[in-house]
Amino acid sequence: MGLSGCSLSPFNRQPAAPTGLGAESRQQPALSGDGRLLASLVDRGGRTTVILQERRSGRVLPLRQFRNRQPHSSPSLSWNGRYLALLVQQGGRRQAVIEDRATGQQHPLFLPAAQEPQQLSLAPDGQSIALELINGGSRRLQVFSLAGMLEPDRAPGLRESGGGTPLQP
Amino acid sequence: MNKRATINVGLWGAALALLLAGCQGGLRPIQQLNQSLSGLGDSQSPSLNSEWLALISSRTGSRAQVQLIDRRRNAPVLLPGLNRPDSLPISVAVDQRGERLALVRQRDDRSELVIHRRSLQASQTVPIEPAGVPQRVSLSADGRVLAVEVSRAGLWQVDLLELP
Repeated sequence: MGLSGCSLSPFNRQPAAPTGLGAESRQQPALSGDGRLLASLVDRGGRTTVILQERRSGRVLPLRQFRNRQPHSSPSLSWNGRYLALLVQQGGRRQAVIEDRATGQQHPLFLPAAQEPQQLSLAPDGQSIALELINGGSRRLQVFSLAGMLEPDRAPGLRESGGGTPLQP
Repeated sequence: MNKRATINVGLWGAALALLLAGCQGGLRPIQQLNQSLSGLGDSQSPSLNSEWLALISSRTGSRAQVQLIDRRRNAPVLLPGLNRPDSLPISVAVDQRGERLALVRQRDDRSELVIHRRSLQASQTVPIEPAGVPQRVSLSADGRVLAVEVSRAGLWQVDLLELP
């Protein structure tokens, strides 16, 4: 790719595919590691809700586990999109959760009571997660291991023998 | 079993259940990396993969800047050509190899989207078309696709760019 001073024509631009409701506000995009899937936040009946789409076709994929816990924020996807990490509203507090789309299982991440997550980033292999935490007015990042909790979701060719279930979108 | 023994067994059972519930949370801090992070002051906008952690850090009295932490060494690497004294980073993302960083930063009262290649120590500004104000950025781990949140005429939209 040409850098400073070169033409920008090599970039192939496209707007995110519509979600079927016409022009609507859309925020906080998150791509899967392979760039195939896009998670973002849209308004559904006045509630900020995560949606998951195939980037090229715009097809919306089902997410079962996050209903009735809006507002959602800070989506993050693993390499093949098997895992979606998200902040949800749970009993007056923000909570980080991870949905395993291959099994339908949900993994809530429990933090010490004084720490409120603001933003997260799931490593593409699903083996660690970074949480931005508000504590006493300061913003700190902490990274946690998810090894042993989630099967790795690695790029094809790097996948461990027997690890992970191929996803049927 | 007498009544006291029954209560004791019940209490131990409850404690064991709580312990197991705690284990199911599965969250274990990665201590060495977190120690390195605690030395950076306030930090936000994480972009994590198995090799790298990109973030924006700020200490009291100094300008916010992008940091890239090498997870094998738990230490920041130098980013020549990326942090500028006349700009304020807003959002950052890094690819799996730590080669490409996507950055939204404020410069001269304008927000701009930048792609930085670490091996070349060079940054390229990516025009927002149609015009808009970029805010949050995501880069696929393979470094080939970029998604950016853009404010246009009061509406938030997501632009997608395939990178060569």
